[in-house]
Amino acid sequence: MSKERIDIPDYSTLFTEERYVQQRENKKQFEAPCSDEAKAEALAYSKSAEYLEKNFERKAVVINPHKACQPLGSVMAALGFEKTLPFVHGSQGCNSYFRSHLSRHFKEPTPAVSSSMTEDAAVFGGMSNMIDGLQNAVALYKPEMVAVCTTCMAEVIGDDLSAFIGNARQKGAIAEDFPVTFANTPSFIGSHITGYDAMIKNILSQLFDRSGQTAAPGTGEEGEKLNVLLGFEPYTGNFAEIRKILNAFDTKYTILGDHSGNYDSPANGEYEYYYGGTKLADVPKAANALGSLVLQKYTLKKTQEYISGTWKQPISSLSTPLGVKATDKLLEAISQLTGLPVPESLKEERGRVVDAYTDSHPYLHGKRVALAGDPDLLLGLIGFCLEVGIEPVHILCSNGDVEFDGKKWKEEVEALLATSPYGSEATVYVGKDLWHLRSLLINDPVDLAIGSSHVKFAAKDAGVPLVRVGFPIFDRHHMHRNPIIGYQGALNLLTLIVNIVLEQLDNNPSGLVDLVR
Amino acid sequence: MEPIRKEELDDQACGSMAPKSKPCPRPKPGEAAGGCSFDGAQITLLPIMDAAHLVHGPVACAGNSWESRGSLSSGPSLSQYGFATDLGNNDIIFGGEKKLRDSIDYIAGRFTPPAIFVYSTCVTALIGEDMDAVCKEASDRLGIPIVPVNSPGFVGSKNLGNRLAGDALLQYVIGTGEPEQETPLGVNLIGEYNIAGEMWDIEKLMNQAGITLLSRITGDARYKEITWAHRAKANMVVCSRALLGLAKQMESKYGIPYFEGSFYGAKETTYSLRQMAFLLNDREMERRVDRLTEREENRLAHDLRPYRKILKGKKAVLYTGGVKSWSVISALKELGIQVVGVGTNKSSDEDVQRIADRVGDDTEYIPEGGASRIIKTVRERKADIMIAGGRNMYVAMKEQIPFVDINQERHKAYAGYEGLLRLAKELVDSMVNPIWKLASSPAPWDKEGSYDR
Repeated sequence: MSKERIDIPDYSTLFTEERYVQQRENKKQFEAPCSDEAKAEALAYSKSAEYLEKNFERKAVVINPHKACQPLGSVMAALGFEKTLPFVHGSQGCNSYFRSHLSRHFKEPTPAVSSSMTEDAAVFGGMSNMIDGLQNAVALYKPEMVAVCTTCMAEVIGDDLSAFIGNARQKGAIAEDFPVTFANTPSFIGSHITGYDAMIKNILSQLFDRSGQTAAPGTGEEGEKLNVLLGFEPYTGNFAEIRKILNAFDTKYTILGDHSGNYDSPANGEYEYYYGGTKLADVPKAANALGSLVLQKYTLKKTQEYISGTWKQPISSLSTPLGVKATDKLLEAISQLTGLPVPESLKEERGRVVDAYTDSHPYLHGKRVALAGDPDLLLGLIGFCLEVGIEPVHILCSNGDVEFDGKKWKEEVEALLATSPYGSEATVYVGKDLWHLRSLLINDPVDLAIGSSHVKFAAKDAGVPLVRVGFPIFDRHHMHRNPIIGYQGALNLLTLIVNIVLEQLDNNPSGLVDLVR
Repeated sequence: MEPIRKEELDDQACGSMAPKSKPCPRPKPGEAAGGCSFDGAQITLLPIMDAAHLVHGPVACAGNSWESRGSLSSGPSLSQYGFATDLGNNDIIFGGEKKLRDSIDYIAGRFTPPAIFVYSTCVTALIGEDMDAVCKEASDRLGIPIVPVNSPGFVGSKNLGNRLAGDALLQYVIGTGEPEQETPLGVNLIGEYNIAGEMWDIEKLMNQAGITLLSRITGDARYKEITWAHRAKANMVVCSRALLGLAKQMESKYGIPYFEGSFYGAKETTYSLRQMAFLLNDREMERRVDRLTEREENRLAHDLRPYRKILKGKKAVLYTGGVKSWSVISALKELGIQVVGVGTNKSSDEDVQRIADRVGDDTEYIPEGGASRIIKTVRERKADIMIAGGRNMYVAMKEQIPFVDINQERHKAYAGYEGLLRLAKELVDSMVNPIWKLASSPAPWDKEGSYDR
């Protein structure tokens, strides 16, 4: 084929050709009402210190938000359970956004359905949509459980999920004993992590209630097992990593909410709707486990309350364990909950990562960074930065102020920053958007920004390289397949960051390039 | 908010041929439905690149949707900003009109856009925000057009949203400005969104023929140029399902003749350019177009030769929305590909008729979605490739089916003569890539034969 190949430029090069450039110039006459000078002036102003202040006084409008909504998190939560179909009760477009959002991050299909409410439902309520929807969905997709969450529309008109599902059973749309779990997830409150929490908590509590069991922690066969909850986890690699760690301990465990099967399924010739996930039967049994290990404590706020309140289990709560120290804490927590010693293999792995740290630290020391992301991820990232001598400067959390006590999170972040001289330059911004971050990046420049793909434009405007960590990552492939938690994750993060720094050195304006780093 | 006259809209959007008993396909509860009206309205209006687009609703309606389209801009990027009024619990109870007013003021003050489009969402429509009044008041006060787009998600499908966006243009934008000079050969493109820069290829062709592209509705558009769209001598509706109603109303209101056409495939492209020349009623122009299209077709035929050799006789399943369902068939046929299955999910009766005109009797129509249904067709018809949108792409990957993305998220321009060449290359590249052989062969230690299909 190569002999006959014709050169067909892609848009990355095509539209730089003269004829297109000319076309573009011609169009400027329409660009009312700004002249080039006025535009340049406005751009310069938007980069000024004066504007920084004005930008932070902005109350009314959100510009470039850095969060998704509750039902998106609920869909992800539902996909963590065996043969469970996420069902979004409300208008149909929301579901379509969730599916494409999640699919574009994981590069995998997202099975989820909607009850497709329309104007009639706005007037008469969404009950018939729920009944028809459940019937159709169960017939079409043959799930073993349906997990219903709501969108704004169902919330505003006040649909009663429990009653509707009851009616669906009564009318024979679904069998009496067919499990349908549900959670109220209005998008005008909280964010994707709130919705994740709501759905996980409800799946646990509703399946437990259905089973008629009583909670007796540490008893029976399950009494030797550990429950593990990862939270709103955009990295499928993190599931593999936590499994590796728990297996090294030789402890038994149940991961509650494991969507890694769905989002890391093999291409072996046949697409199935459901891959892996926590077994439904394991959920009520989890009430007898020895304890629960939580890896995103701010995300899983309500779930933890439930586990400690109703299941009366001991809980070890951590934030995303990024870096060596956080992983140490993770291993200590596992050790404490199970009574097992930290295995040699992990001790050795730790040593290797520390070795890698020492190799790379000259290039990371004193690098100033900006961080943006979800609360637990940020705590992890800050910890990582501090232990390798990177200085966090701007820390921005769009969804750190809602539902759970944002003040508490901020206090913990500040306490963590105070443990190290490298944290002394940092300011924490809660509830701010990426337009705020842009002002910060421009006016108080940093060496690197760490955050999701959405941070790209702010970083580009400020001329700062972006290290992609978090959710969503659309514009790079396979980032989510590599773990960022545990010692292996620490090594991966280190590799990612130090190599971007080294690449910058190669691209330095002096043109000097060497081969001996 | 004005009550939305759904029946009337459905009727227009689906074409006058739609029988009363079968209006626009309604979303069915319990299926994985496509986008909503809000989505549709945004798709139509976001390519107006220098305008600000403000979502009046909870932050995630903007948060879930911004930066997700491949509609390219040649200059301004304001339309890429995700503006939202970020309604919270209290606003739902007490109303968000003040927040909306303040947001508009802030955007007008800070970004000085030529216009602001304000989108209603499920929430603002349900709590009864008087968006039209707020926009009007702000417009009078600030001296720039603030256009309310009443297309909350729950009113229906994405297509209905396209249509409602067209209504907003007709009511608030078109006819409010005048071009600097008269353009006797001016044509508007309606329903062309410059995905991956397609519009630029089309514009180049039109320029070569001497046709003036008066207003782009809305691929890579500037607000100002849409204000004088009513001075065009002809309209071409590129995506018929979405904005046919707009063309119809421009015909009755301003007497501008229109035609429906496509730029997918050489034949369709030639037809479209000829049709423009015909409606402009200019002999010289018609001759020029004939010369241009002949030259381009010859060149294309030559360039396509190596690709046609590979593509001839190959079978494809096409699953896409609206106009692309029929227009892409022509392009594929020119490449020698047989379309063995085609989605009619979002197609109007007219679209289905056009599909029927283009494919043989043994092509399977796939009336509704669900990945399994599409895959089944691919398997049964032994298709070599699947051509669909992003949400179905990853299923194809699992099933080891070569795939080409045709929807709005894609990064390749397929319109016009050059576009067909690009499409051919993309199809060939996807089919001949060595991964398919690797994926469908067993591992060396696996004694069983290759995966059963």
